[in-house]
Amino acid sequence: MNKQTKILNRQNNELDKKLVPENQTIMTDMVCYLRVANISDYDQELVRHDLLEIVLSAQERGEEISAVIGDDYKQFCDEIIASLPEKSKKSKWLDFVDTILLCLSVLGLIHLVLSKDSFQVFKHLITGKKDNFMISFTIGDIISYVIILAASFAIVHYIGKTSFKSVAQNTGRVKRFIVGGAIGVGIMGGFILINALGRQTMFQVHVIALCIVTLCMYAGHKILQNYVQAK
Amino acid sequence: MIPSQMLKGTLEGCILKVISVKETYGYEISQELQGYGFSNISEGTIYPLLLRMEKNGYIQAQYRDSLVGPKRKYFSITPIGEQELDNFVGSWKLLERAVNRLFTGGGKEE
Repeated sequence: MNKQTKILNRQNNELDKKLVPENQTIMTDMVCYLRVANISDYDQELVRHDLLEIVLSAQERGEEISAVIGDDYKQFCDEIIASLPEKSKKSKWLDFVDTILLCLSVLGLIHLVLSKDSFQVFKHLITGKKDNFMISFTIGDIISYVIILAASFAIVHYIGKTSFKSVAQNTGRVKRFIVGGAIGVGIMGGFILINALGRQTMFQVHVIALCIVTLCMYAGHKILQNYVQAK
Repeated sequence: MIPSQMLKGTLEGCILKVISVKETYGYEISQELQGYGFSNISEGTIYPLLLRMEKNGYIQAQYRDSLVGPKRKYFSITPIGEQELDNFVGSWKLLERAVNRLFTGGGKEE
């Protein structure tokens, strides 16, 4: 998200607070749907601003949101998306790289803080003891991080694409409980299995090198966000 | 009520006509159209069309302060839009003449 988009985003967040609860729910659904559409972040915020003006004006006139934009919010959003320029291939790739860099820098930081080697390494750094400053990455760590990255993309996409379906509309209560439980148990079991089978160290990195790489990835994300990302 | 399928091809031209008269915004356009008998035209119906016309360069938008808080988008017609409006009027006259001849028994064209 570049600077101009960020300013607009902040203004829209403020305007959002003026919405009555029922309109806020509908606006959130529409914004979620627009977030995963193939349009630029800037266009998403511009449309959000226009929609806020439309809905707030209707609110002021005492009209319901359905009176101004109809009842089929998904179709309304689809028409909007079709009327806007699509993201270029370059822009899509930059977005993807930007997200990956941010995710990897966060995972790098988490690994740096939570890795079992970290405590020893930091103890050695503080005491000045010249010993092992290497942080290990096991096969399990790498597989877990790949799964976390893929799951994050899938969850964001799923939420966006199903934003107009209420939970009750999607499935029944028992079915939801079974599906949710199965997913939870599956994920937990998967991570336990990965941890058990993937204890073998794949590679080791010096703690300073890991810090530098993590920082570089975060800096790369910031650069892409502020300067390169297409408007 | 005019069926939406029938409106589809003509609404864009009608919106252009409203904008060509004076600089205006979405809600005002919908009210103006309703005043002329387009009873089922809400602001939401015309918003995607306005975006498309803006993308095609027929109209240009300018944000101005409004009383409710967010800035309101005002549209004005561009030279390309004026040309498009002329094309629309020409096409509409041809269609109108053909339909009228068919329904009023005016006979086939020579």
